[in-house]
Amino acid sequence: MLRLLCLLLLYTAHVYSAVAQEKPYLPYYSNDTARAYKLAVLHRSAVKAHLTVPKSGPKEYREHYQEVVQEAAEDVFNSIRYSALLDSELEPYVQQVFNRIVQANSQLPISAKLILTRNPEPNAHAVGNGTVMLNVGLLPRLENEDQLAFILCHELAHVACRHMESSMQEQLTTLHSQEVKREFRRIINSEYNISSKIKALALGFSLNNNYHSRRHEKQADSLGYVLLTHTGYDATQAYRALQLLDTIDEPETTAPLALSAYFGCTAFPKLFEAAPTKPQSIFTVKASEKTVLQTTDTLKSHPDCAKRMRFMSILAQGRVAEGPQPLSSPVFARIRQISRLEVVQSWFDYDCYDHALFEALQLLPQQPQNTYLRSVVVLSLYALRQHLQHHTYTEVVSNRSEQNPASFNKLLLSLYDLRLEDFRGISACFAEKTSLDATVPADEYDLAARYAARALTTETTAAAALKVQYQKQYAGGKFDKLLFSAQPPKTAAAHR
Amino acid sequence: MLCIKRAALTACFALATAAAFAQTKTLDGIENMTRSALSPIYAGNEVKGYLMFGRGDKADRKTDNYVLDFYDQDLGKVSNITIQKPANRFTLLKNSFNGTAFAFYFCNLKDETVEIETYDTSLKKLGSKVIEDLSKVDKMIIQNQMKQGGETSSVSGKMDLFPVPGHGFVRNSYTGMAKGYALVMYDDNAKAKWRLASDEKSKLYEMVSLTEATDKYILGIMMRRDGMLSKQVSSSMIAINAATGKKVLDVPVETSKTEQLSLSSFTFDAEKREFIAVGEYYKLDDKPFVNKSQGFFIKRFSEAGKAVSTKNYGWQKEVMALMPAEAKASLEDNYVNYTQSIVKGANGKMYIVAEQFKIVGDGMGIALRAMGGKVSVSKGKIGNMLVFELDPEAKLSKVKFYQKDPSNAILPPGSGLMSAGLLGHVIKSQGDFDYQFMQRNDANTQFNVVYINFDKEKGEDTKRVIGNIAFGDNGQYLEDKINMASAANYSYLYPAKPGYVMIADYYKKKNQLGMKLVKLNI
Ligand SMILES: [Zn+2]
Repeated sequence: MLRLLCLLLLYTAHVYSAVAQEKPYLPYYSNDTARAYKLAVLHRSAVKAHLTVPKSGPKEYREHYQEVVQEAAEDVFNSIRYSALLDSELEPYVQQVFNRIVQANSQLPISAKLILTRNPEPNAHAVGNGTVMLNVGLLPRLENEDQLAFILCHELAHVACRHMESSMQEQLTTLHSQEVKREFRRIINSEYNISSKIKALALGFSLNNNYHSRRHEKQADSLGYVLLTHTGYDATQAYRALQLLDTIDEPETTAPLALSAYFGCTAFPKLFEAAPTKPQSIFTVKASEKTVLQTTDTLKSHPDCAKRMRFMSILAQGRVAEGPQPLSSPVFARIRQISRLEVVQSWFDYDCYDHALFEALQLLPQQPQNTYLRSVVVLSLYALRQHLQHHTYTEVVSNRSEQNPASFNKLLLSLYDLRLEDFRGISACFAEKTSLDATVPADEYDLAARYAARALTTETTAAAALKVQYQKQYAGGKFDKLLFSAQPPKTAAAHR
Repeated sequence: MLCIKRAALTACFALATAAAFAQTKTLDGIENMTRSALSPIYAGNEVKGYLMFGRGDKADRKTDNYVLDFYDQDLGKVSNITIQKPANRFTLLKNSFNGTAFAFYFCNLKDETVEIETYDTSLKKLGSKVIEDLSKVDKMIIQNQMKQGGETSSVSGKMDLFPVPGHGFVRNSYTGMAKGYALVMYDDNAKAKWRLASDEKSKLYEMVSLTEATDKYILGIMMRRDGMLSKQVSSSMIAINAATGKKVLDVPVETSKTEQLSLSSFTFDAEKREFIAVGEYYKLDDKPFVNKSQGFFIKRFSEAGKAVSTKNYGWQKEVMALMPAEAKASLEDNYVNYTQSIVKGANGKMYIVAEQFKIVGDGMGIALRAMGGKVSVSKGKIGNMLVFELDPEAKLSKVKFYQKDPSNAILPPGSGLMSAGLLGHVIKSQGDFDYQFMQRNDANTQFNVVYINFDKEKGEDTKRVIGNIAFGDNGQYLEDKINMASAANYSYLYPAKPGYVMIADYYKKKNQLGMKLVKLNI
């Protein structure tokens, strides 16, 4: 029966891809936000219903509990409301994998749900009410469906073990324990060096948390493995999935971007390879302070991937897949390919034009005919120029960082170096180098990019005609605000 | 709470990414903020980082923890140093970097001392020195300096720690009743190396301000008066051997037969091995700082101190001929120029940046004066910006005029009787000019004059624009205006790495300080 179901699912997936491949893939976009909103409301209530505030116990504790639940519910609401990916290909695909796991494991709560988010970071996590949030950014980094299945099993194991609830309760209990309260009061009353003492107390908490999360990870890995073995997925891939997570913060490719090949030509013979290096810091302090993201747990940094891999090897009695796996299924190959494009669009939609540009330029050499990638490059350049003109450039172009791939840092240095008038030259060169000579704009992205290109190269008449065409064909479209708004561009920093 | 924290991160991943990696920084828990709490760290001409100085919690009954936070030129946090010093009575006067070491110049108000602490580039402490024998004038100047948040002109005096690459830091002080000066060189370990002071037997009052450290000299301008109240000031260019502290040059800017000269800038042209003096000239009977100048001059001296050439540029002659049409009206409108900065480019050109100002006769003030009252309510008006460009042959080649909204300066009692020259310095020391600073790169190929344009009468919130005037080797004069409007309670503008400025926004309610670099379109 199960096998039949699998075959059926595989078949339908094939149909999807067969249909979809006729037209080039465009990232998901919908004017209709009602679906995401309804889903978000549903999950917000589910979190609140799931995490019921204890009736007894000290008032302070209960109030704090209530606060934390409220916050968690709002976070879930916001994630879904603003980043749920409800497309017709990736979403059904991951739901299908998820359902197969849930159906094969009767001990899992039937209320368990999966949300695919547009978050481009390769990660996944479970939230309070047992919802698994899967970032679209994780999909291109996996080699097959079995690995995805293991990741979902791991998160479902957290759900089954009620890890989120228990760690929340544990922490709240510790926080409100007589011991901690006394210690806290002692520090506050001590008058001197209060902030360093509180820091030490907080550090104790986070070490304690790390210890607990380590214990939880081990549990989630082992239960996750068991769940996986019930599904018919290839369980040897669990080990390989951990291996991939171990290096997930590293770039997929270390090849430098062909900046000069795309943005340099006779009209703009600027040598990007010769972009100035970052000026030397006068400081020789060894470890620079970590940023928020660096100190936050990622799926990988769930303590010690190596340790977890050893443990997994024991669980699997040595039957593990190691090293790069062949991309056997065309279905998963397509999932990887289109999720990559979703990642590009996601960076773009969140005003991270440097990342969008980087991802698009990485993919473009492999898919030189891809109009969408070309459009994203042009539209990113347009947005960057807008921000530069309105003095918000540094809010959308990241700082160089040791954590970045070298090729991304290189791109950043080139971006820092650009002046307003340079955008004209690089746009002209990019058009020259990638022109596909299509007479009719293929889609909204293409038309928007054609307008942006003309605007960047100050071909005003052509731009005006394209503007009319866009506004007629895609009234109130996705790029209307970016391209035609009289207001200066908004940034994430401005939203705060 | 790990899961909750991660959920939060997901919800605002775009914000988190932007906030963590953008060239911006948000600091929480800042209870108050003044301009001087944050200061740029210079290496040569360029900003290489920022230092934030703040008081933390109490260390014991009499001691506070003071924190020095370091950021690099991209606003990346580098590290911090915590020092324990007298509670409430300790402040940073100046941070200095000489290429190999940092020196922090503190004022200990409790003990009435100043302290120097030096650190290497890894922020390891190298040495410290407490200076107890402060003169009355030293103390007075420190107090004045703190009132003004470090923004004092050299006219009213300044306690400084001057970085000298390869040697250390020079500390200046005032001896007698401001009759003389003393300079002491401290090496990177805060050990005193040499002392140079005015001759106690001399009848002259001497005041020195250091301007530049060259390959082997420390340059400065010496002002001499024959009495404390004397308005007759003579200026000399001095050069000190950085290694020995011996004065190797002390050349007065001679009064010529036809006019009086007042020195405002003195630099060394390493290519030609010549000292260059720039200043303004006055009619023979007029007095510098008292009467309005006739124009500006440039004088060159050999390394041995011999005058090589002198050139005058009259406001009404050479300057007027090149004045853009739109600027002429303002000159006729009785505006005078205050020279804000003088720089020399790698292209051999010299750029002189000036800002216009004038006194506006106030009906009330005049009436009071007519009735014999001594209260002056005259107002100063700040006008437009001007840049004078001189070619390598010292010929005036360009005059650029930049219009901005006039703003007002409230002048102290007695200003109505003051001359224009002195008034310029008063306005400068009150911080009422719109000119903020000039930025330049180490190669001296790119300059950027930064000013703020807002209507001071209507309040800073009505319209705040940061004006940038950029020029340099490419021969172009470019202007870029940044709209500074923000919801912040206070916004401060700081110098930044070449091609950028830094804006710090303080939000009182949120106890939050946001710092951001702004890339200029220049
Ligand atoms: Zn986990």
